[in-house]
Amino acid sequence: MISLLLISPLILLAALGAVWKARPVHAALLLALALALVAVLYLSVGADFIGLVQFMVYVGGVAILIVFALLITRPGDEAEEVARRPRSLALGFACVAPVLGMLLYAFSQGLPLSTADEANPALPVQALGMELFENSVPAVLAVGVLLTAVLIGAALFARDPGTKPEPPASR
Amino acid sequence: MRLPAWIALLVGAFPTLGLAQTVQQPLVTGESLPRLPQRLVEMGLQAVKAPDWLVALGSFVTAAAVVVAVFLTAFALLSLIERKTLARVQNRLGPNRAGYFGILQPVADGIKMLTKEDIVPTKAEWFLHLLAPILIVIPSILALGVIPYGREWVPVPLELGIVFFFAVGTMTELAVFIAGWASGSKFPMLGAMRAISQMISYELPLMISALSVVMLSGTLTLTGIVNAQAGFHLGFLPAWNILTPWGLVAGIVFFIAAIAESNRCPFDLPEGESEIVAGHMTEYSGFKYALFFMGEYLGLFAISGLGITLFLGGWQAPLPGLDWVPSWIWFFGKLAVVIFVFLWIRATFPRVRIDQLMRFAWLCLIPVSLLTLPVAAIWHYAGQGALGWLLCAVPLLIPCILITVFFNRRLAPATRRYHFAE
Amino acid sequence: MTPLPLLLTLSALLFVLGLLAVLTRRNAILVLVGIELMLNAANLNFIAFWRYGPPDVDLTGPLFVLFSIAIAAAEAAVGLAIILMNFRRTRSTDLNRLDSLHG
Repeated sequence: MISLLLISPLILLAALGAVWKARPVHAALLLALALALVAVLYLSVGADFIGLVQFMVYVGGVAILIVFALLITRPGDEAEEVARRPRSLALGFACVAPVLGMLLYAFSQGLPLSTADEANPALPVQALGMELFENSVPAVLAVGVLLTAVLIGAALFARDPGTKPEPPASR
Repeated sequence: MRLPAWIALLVGAFPTLGLAQTVQQPLVTGESLPRLPQRLVEMGLQAVKAPDWLVALGSFVTAAAVVVAVFLTAFALLSLIERKTLARVQNRLGPNRAGYFGILQPVADGIKMLTKEDIVPTKAEWFLHLLAPILIVIPSILALGVIPYGREWVPVPLELGIVFFFAVGTMTELAVFIAGWASGSKFPMLGAMRAISQMISYELPLMISALSVVMLSGTLTLTGIVNAQAGFHLGFLPAWNILTPWGLVAGIVFFIAAIAESNRCPFDLPEGESEIVAGHMTEYSGFKYALFFMGEYLGLFAISGLGITLFLGGWQAPLPGLDWVPSWIWFFGKLAVVIFVFLWIRATFPRVRIDQLMRFAWLCLIPVSLLTLPVAAIWHYAGQGALGWLLCAVPLLIPCILITVFFNRRLAPATRRYHFAE
Repeated sequence: MTPLPLLLTLSALLFVLGLLAVLTRRNAILVLVGIELMLNAANLNFIAFWRYGPPDVDLTGPLFVLFSIAIAAAEAAVGLAIILMNFRRTRSTDLNRLDSLHG
């Protein structure tokens, strides 16, 4: 519980920074920090395997992808973005405030707020593996097919279509 | 000036109390020697009736301190041994001024590094510029913490040891990116891009080849993986994973990928001196540069340690009847051999080109490492004897030879002309 | 405050922050940042209900999170590939310029 109280504000701060910062790379790095902290939170509630997978996929994969894409695509005019940021944030906040209210209202209505402090047992990895490869084999296979398709598709998408480089050995 | 005396008393109190409490039972055997500091602190804290969490914390901190101390010493030694070995290969003497046989060279290097000016470029983001070297060192030390060094010496016995190892390992990539980007200059950025694309590409074969070991050992704990390699075939052949058909291929793939993952020659493109100054470390000086160096070497130790655990039987003795030697001596012996092979490779191989590097990862290493998974399954079901060797050799050898021939004939010798160089 | 409401509030706030990023960013890649935050908020709910909700013997929560992480990775890869392809065409990642269906 103490660890939750410690980590939650940090996650929120990092996520806020990821939304707030005008410089794209800063936003991406803060996103990586926020997601790494979510992984730490998973670890601290006993979902060890999920936490490590989250760390591996998000910090090692998604964050790297995002910063790479940021480097390849040159960002637009940063000064203009910085100047525009407060106004668009204020407008955006006006839009999302009702959503927040609705979510919190739904949680407060749907839950007895005095749920007990005791937790279900921590995640046993063996049981998770059994569950994964005995009862949800079709889902695992589907995810495997999806990821393979994504690998090929992303490679095809990101390939330079129009300008073929002249064959280097021709000169 | 009473303060130093008090500190000395405090520092000395715990071990002394621990010693006093355990005169009746044998405190230390060869096997548990590396755990001595940890046990002394535990006993000392228990003797003064410290609460349980404090005992656990003290024991944990001491275990971590032992690992860090051992590997920092090894780092200092390796930096000397590396230069000496390279010098031998190149028919020169190497460092021989500081101390007998150059033995004080690491100390001299350390003093030089610490007293150098710490330069932060004006265009750099100072906070991220400072953060990067720290983030490089942390994952290596974390990864070193979960490796079983001996029968009784596992600093942090994690249930998900191997997953943890790879998870913290991915942090290095982001750290390299931060280093390159925060320097605010051209060569660091180019070096970081190279380093990240290389590390991502070589992480896949690394993990997949480790996967086959996990599959057959049936456990994610590194201790369990070592225990699964106990025993001997035919009375003398150790039952290590590298001595099985799939393990041989997976082990070779793992070690090649490990060299690339720790950015060493012949895959040291990210910091190729003749091409992009020093890659992502270009704008660093003084102690920060030393931290990069340290992170690289600690990462090398960690990944070699994992390779030894997965394929070379961890701390198991190589021959029967040698169990009286403390197991951690075998581990460090194997580590020395593996590191020497890395040095040897560094001294003799030329640096590869970036397109060769990526092609090698995606067209050669990843298919071969994927191949080891079904072959490991065949080995499991075909009985682990002569029949298994036969059934495994065919599906392994044919694609391996095909890939190697294809790779050599079609791809490697194609001389590449650079448009702008002419 | 018990853990469950705390985690649910956290996830609600994370979701809203992600939504805010999606609504206010012009750079397509940074919109993706917001989407990642929203996905993580949903995952957080699964973990919270698995751990602090009624007993879950089938491990549905963690399983769902595992699949969700895998699909999020796929989504990020495809999304960035599409953004890159579009960048090649328009030399910009600004979403406001994405107003043409013409190939």
